[in-house]
Amino acid sequence: MRRYREAAGEVAERPERSRWRAAALGDRAAVGYGLLVVGLVVISYVVGAAGWLPDDPSRMDMARLNAPPGAGHALGTDFLGRDILSRLIVGIQAYFLPGLLAVAISLALGAALGVTAGYRGGRAEALVTYLSNLVDAVPRLVLVLLVIAAFRADIYYVMLVVGITGAPAVASIIAGKIQFLRQKSFIEAAHVLGLPTRVIVLKHILWYNCAPLLIIQATLGMGEAILVETSLSYLGFGVQEPTPSWGNMVQAGANYFFHGKFWPSTAPALAILFTILGFHLLGDGLNNILESKSAS
Amino acid sequence: MAARELALTALLLVGVSLVVFVILHLSPGDPFSVLLEGQGSGHAVSTSVREALGVPTTWYGRYLAWLGNMAHGNLGTSIRTGVPVASEIARAGPSTLYLTLGSLLVTLLLAVPVALYSTSRTAGALARALTLAVYLVSAVPVFWLGYVVIYLVIHRFGVFPLLSASAEPARHGWLYGLLPIVVLGVANGTVSEVTRHLRGEIGRVLTEDYIRTARAKGAPVWRHAFKEGFLLPMTEMIAAKIPFVIGGAIIVEQVFNWPGLGRMAWQAAQDRDFPVILGIALVAAAFVRLASLLRSVIYAGVNPRTATE
Amino acid sequence: MTRPAVLEIRDLRTYFYSRAKEAFIRSVDGVSLAVAAGETLGVVGESGSGKSVTALSILSLVGGSPGVITGTIEFAGATGAGTARRNLLEDLGRYVRVSERDGRIVAVTKDEPGWRARVERALTGVRGKEIAMIFQNPKSSLNPFLTVGQQISEAIRLHTPVTDAGEAKERAIGWLERVRMDSPRLRFDQYPDGLSGGMCQRAMIAMALASEPSLLIADEPTTGLDATIQSRVVALLAELKSEFGVTTLLISHDVRVVSRLADTVAVMYGGTVMEHGPARDVLAPGSEPKHPYTAALLASLPSAQTNGGRRTVDGRLPVIRGEVVDTMDVPRGCRFYARCDRVTEAIRARCLGQEPALATVAAGHRIRCHLYAGETCAETRPG
Repeated sequence: MRRYREAAGEVAERPERSRWRAAALGDRAAVGYGLLVVGLVVISYVVGAAGWLPDDPSRMDMARLNAPPGAGHALGTDFLGRDILSRLIVGIQAYFLPGLLAVAISLALGAALGVTAGYRGGRAEALVTYLSNLVDAVPRLVLVLLVIAAFRADIYYVMLVVGITGAPAVASIIAGKIQFLRQKSFIEAAHVLGLPTRVIVLKHILWYNCAPLLIIQATLGMGEAILVETSLSYLGFGVQEPTPSWGNMVQAGANYFFHGKFWPSTAPALAILFTILGFHLLGDGLNNILESKSAS
Repeated sequence: MAARELALTALLLVGVSLVVFVILHLSPGDPFSVLLEGQGSGHAVSTSVREALGVPTTWYGRYLAWLGNMAHGNLGTSIRTGVPVASEIARAGPSTLYLTLGSLLVTLLLAVPVALYSTSRTAGALARALTLAVYLVSAVPVFWLGYVVIYLVIHRFGVFPLLSASAEPARHGWLYGLLPIVVLGVANGTVSEVTRHLRGEIGRVLTEDYIRTARAKGAPVWRHAFKEGFLLPMTEMIAAKIPFVIGGAIIVEQVFNWPGLGRMAWQAAQDRDFPVILGIALVAAAFVRLASLLRSVIYAGVNPRTATE
Repeated sequence: MTRPAVLEIRDLRTYFYSRAKEAFIRSVDGVSLAVAAGETLGVVGESGSGKSVTALSILSLVGGSPGVITGTIEFAGATGAGTARRNLLEDLGRYVRVSERDGRIVAVTKDEPGWRARVERALTGVRGKEIAMIFQNPKSSLNPFLTVGQQISEAIRLHTPVTDAGEAKERAIGWLERVRMDSPRLRFDQYPDGLSGGMCQRAMIAMALASEPSLLIADEPTTGLDATIQSRVVALLAELKSEFGVTTLLISHDVRVVSRLADTVAVMYGGTVMEHGPARDVLAPGSEPKHPYTAALLASLPSAQTNGGRRTVDGRLPVIRGEVVDTMDVPRGCRFYARCDRVTEAIRARCLGQEPALATVAAGHRIRCHLYAGETCAETRPG
């Protein structure tokens, strides 16, 4: 049963509902949750960097091994009695800055490529398409392992690769937007008005028109980066014990898992789950809200 | 048109080889000499001797020599084991192929019903719950899910698919073959995108003019919507998500100790055994492009417009 | 009406809800029409007048919510029980609840999935078989993945006793010949992509007529085609009309097309019928009685200028002043009041406050205007 009710008052005088209020509830919830996650991550990063931890992540509380959440340890302890919450907070350090690096590279490189392709069209666009296909051809983790084999297991090298491989996607979005604007004679008009190309590109195209799209790409990119870092740590190529990272925490707890002690592995796994979920929902939710407005 | 696709594929594979070449070229040490030596192109150690023996020293020379060897199926030799990479890959390849294709099937088995259901009922509570569930599933760390599944199967259900110390083969050994497929199929991170794409395409096609004509005609809508709304998007998704599934296979093979290319790649990264990882990268890229090629074939077969190009 | 009505629509309302504005778009706001057997009823109106939505509502092809909310659509097709009339919107009231305020609908509750299921069942055997419909944009209205022949054969095998593929093919080619398609045997195996717009429209017409329907609905059949092709399609429709005499509901914003093909004309504006009568009376410029909107519409046509040089204003085409009524914000009184140039002081108050009813001004000719409301037996609204 669906209800439709006309609001009171003159239609003509009714202000148009903002994009946010007119959006579906599911999308707003998704964005809300995503922002919550992002906020928590940022706060936790700062907290971890500053050292304001509830407990020393290396301190072993031998009296309470594998303890469930309870007194003294908000999220329990792992198999060595270490406080899980503190370790989770410190674990964010492993992916936060590297992730930002990857996102920054994707956006900057992608924007440069996209603008070139959009402006020059033809050949340049074909090149961007080619690069997209190229980058998609090799599975990212394989490429990362290759880089590790060729150089060393440095998370920044890895994130460089993640950033570069994420650029073509950004580029095609921007190139597409430029095509769209071009069709609307927006760019032509700007040129005719005498605006310098740099201003057109930076201010009008990228900032006014592409900013929301870029934000969405940034959130999705961060989600990808976190996935890569945690997978890499799990495989043993990231941060090494005893320094915690969410991936190596899951790996370290594996044996205990099979003996019925689920928590040391599950806590970080849930952290990964809800964090990546947050970034995905944020990106997709924003995307839906953006698209629904341009559709109506 | 087919020729164009093949040319594109060849160009892309060349591109991939260039990329990995650049990576190796930039890496410290002299990996390329090691690589070429592994391919049997030269055995000397010093530059002058190399020159004397006609072993290429310029970067493009080495690249071409390497490419040439690869064209003959020579992918070099593993640094760790000394075994030719090509035969290692041939040995471990089928296991990963099975994992990849099997888990893709599982992903589709999950995504398709959810997508179909969501199209018909966009507003129901169940549809919303399903959407959320799909997102959750796509964010689950696949390694942890592997542990959960193993634990459940062994300890809860008392099934022992993993080979035990005893001589007799595991009673439920066949199950062991299914577990990694299920785990990878569920948690490779693509389920939500596949569902979303399928649902979007089905929904979009259903609003097309020609579907309206079909309805007005009293014709079964699914018959008209099938090609553009289902077959094509499915093919598109399969081809597009294969790289992600291969990446996930690396992790799943770790969890299940599965003797495939993923575990081999991991080992190679540990040992800095770059000929091996190089070979795997190229094989993976070739496989991805093959899938893309198949997709183009299907597109051409279905869509009369592209067929006549 | 001397001949039995094949289709009779009474007080149809099809609304859409705008979330952004929290208001209803009253696309079809109380439309009543009737088409007699063998006759062609032409429905004329500007974009947004609701004529296409009316046509789509008949076969329940309306997308969007809430869709059809009130009304009856009686159809007398050749069903198993003779030519029994039935209401295609039967039981609508069970799925829809409507709340009014000041005589205006302000809230609607509709069980859409339920109604959709109900109407799908009611319309099997009707869609494509007894009522066939052709659309504008023929190229996009044909399935690009199937050949033209496959699509026509499908209609034949669905709705006629023919089941054999070969026989269906022959029949289809026969129909392609009848719609004057060149090289019909060749075209049978071609995809819509390889055909021009005009040819696609012919194919659609063939597909529609192949099932020998009791009613043909043509929704803007010439819109979207080149001007020269338009006249050819109109000629084809005229030919088919005299050859087969199919009862037709023709929707078009192009008055010339309607005047060429229609026996009866209904003029729609802002979601309702403003005038309904014999074509020669309604469409004759300058004749009386006539609705002000119809008069203004006819006067703004270029051809009107050549017919004895009617009112050009400084050598320019006369236009109807004002903006087309916004169907989201329908005025209280007459919908055309703001743009009408024949309002007199005597009726101004009524034009502002009360919507006129469709009043009979001559045999078979009804007009919705306060100028004529005092005429013989004004029917209570809705007409």
